[in-house]
Amino acid sequence: MSFDQNAFLIILTGSLIAISCGLLGVFMMLRKMSMTGDAISHAVLPGIVIGFFVAGSQRGIEVIIGAGLLGILATLIIDWLRQKARVQLDASIGITFTLLFAIGIILINMLANNVDLDQECVLYGEIAYIPIDLWITGSGAVLGPRITYLALLNFTLVAGFIYFFFKELTLTSFDESFGSVIGIPSKGINLALMSMVSYTTVSSFEAVGAILVVALLVVPPATAFLWTKNMMPLIKLTTVLGIAISILGYYLAYLFDSSIAGMMVSVAGVLFLLSALIKGRSRKSAGTSIANI
Amino acid sequence: MIIQAESPVLEIHDMTVSYDQSPVLWNVDFTLPSGQLIGVLGPNGAGKSTLIKAIMGLVEPSGGYVKVFDRSLAEVRSRISYVPQRESVDWNFPASVLDVVIMGTYGKLGLFKRPGKREKEVALASLDQVGMSAFVNRQISELSGGQQQRVFLARALAQDADLYLMDEPFAGVDMATEATIFELLKRMTKEGKTVVVVHHDIYSAMTYFDWMIMLNLHLVASGPKNQVVTEELLRKTYGGKLNLLSKVSEIVRKQDFNPLES
Repeated sequence: MSFDQNAFLIILTGSLIAISCGLLGVFMMLRKMSMTGDAISHAVLPGIVIGFFVAGSQRGIEVIIGAGLLGILATLIIDWLRQKARVQLDASIGITFTLLFAIGIILINMLANNVDLDQECVLYGEIAYIPIDLWITGSGAVLGPRITYLALLNFTLVAGFIYFFFKELTLTSFDESFGSVIGIPSKGINLALMSMVSYTTVSSFEAVGAILVVALLVVPPATAFLWTKNMMPLIKLTTVLGIAISILGYYLAYLFDSSIAGMMVSVAGVLFLLSALIKGRSRKSAGTSIANI
Repeated sequence: MIIQAESPVLEIHDMTVSYDQSPVLWNVDFTLPSGQLIGVLGPNGAGKSTLIKAIMGLVEPSGGYVKVFDRSLAEVRSRISYVPQRESVDWNFPASVLDVVIMGTYGKLGLFKRPGKREKEVALASLDQVGMSAFVNRQISELSGGQQQRVFLARALAQDADLYLMDEPFAGVDMATEATIFELLKRMTKEGKTVVVVHHDIYSAMTYFDWMIMLNLHLVASGPKNQVVTEELLRKTYGGKLNLLSKVSEIVRKQDFNPLES
């Protein structure tokens, strides 16, 4: 097979997004906040719409700032409902993100009837358009696919965030109150993580859509956690899974002439189920061997 | 009976803590001396854990204040360590015993700095002190309850603090380990460190502690063990559960030391 530049670009972008989501997802999973990631990815919609209106295009920095603020707002509302109003965590997540998402849809319909933004775009995205969506500077120079740049920037920021705050993220994920006692700003770290998740969601929604971002946040870390109980291997395996999902997802979509993002997540789901079956069985056999002794 | 300590390490002034408008600690006011092993006793729901959490600022008191080393909490955080209840974390977390103990050094490291050789040595020495050297690379999910408790203790030791607050560190720990840990705590107090332990076994409390805090929503007593552990104050703390008290007095009688007659 000759080198296919489009395939390479799509797989590269898909991998970058899957790795960014997976890295953040590891910490979301360890904090038992995977569903908060889901909530954030939907709750950012009003922020995107408002940012869109301020910027006049869906490419402005205002969109990302708007989404980031809404993501943090969603986290704060969830926390508030849980701690002050004594609503259960799952209920407060369900209430918060559906409400914010609904507000987002109303805003789109009221304000954006005649502009290039709709629910479909936010929910599903289309990674196959990457090679034709080029970044063209004011002077007319073509620099390459715009979304790949966005994904690369997002990946750099996520990787940097985790590299520099690795110690704090790990400690507050394991034992938040001990972190607070020894002077680690647990609340700040938590909000920073939520902001990164919001930003990653927005940065990725054009390519894979908000729904599939959730899958990339949850499934690769959960799969990797079935295989290892150590932090560094967990992060490495999540990264490898992100790349494998992109490659397999692309070629399977090509084969079946179907959605690439949809196929990526299906591959992730199948890998998870296989892992669960294998690990479940080996755990069971380990159990019986102990019972036999 | 509340006996005040001279030049106290910890001063709690008229503190009230409430959850949802209902107070769980009423007007608690006491001082603690340095270099002693201090027990916090009281029945279930007496507010023992809440007291510890309020001292560390994990719960906000609705009245009163806490002073540690004669300063506000924020100024002396790195000198205070905490051993939470074992059940407060998920032991399925991907970490080894060493990883968890090194966390104790994070407070002094500060932002962006990574634990290095020195931090590892501190952690290994702490593990040695609690007799867990053989488990350095063990997954924390594979530990027994008593071993988990000792890992938490080692993490607090690695912090090298001056005031240690421990919430039920002996829950699920066997007698032999309990004795070893109490010896370790005694040694720490000899080095001038102050150790405050939430405890519910009156028998071992009488054997090991120097100073007692007796709590039942209100502060019943605070002072040197042989002055505050009296039948009357025990009755006040435990609400006159006579069965329990007669057991206690029996235990006390078997030993030479008998605070109930003082």
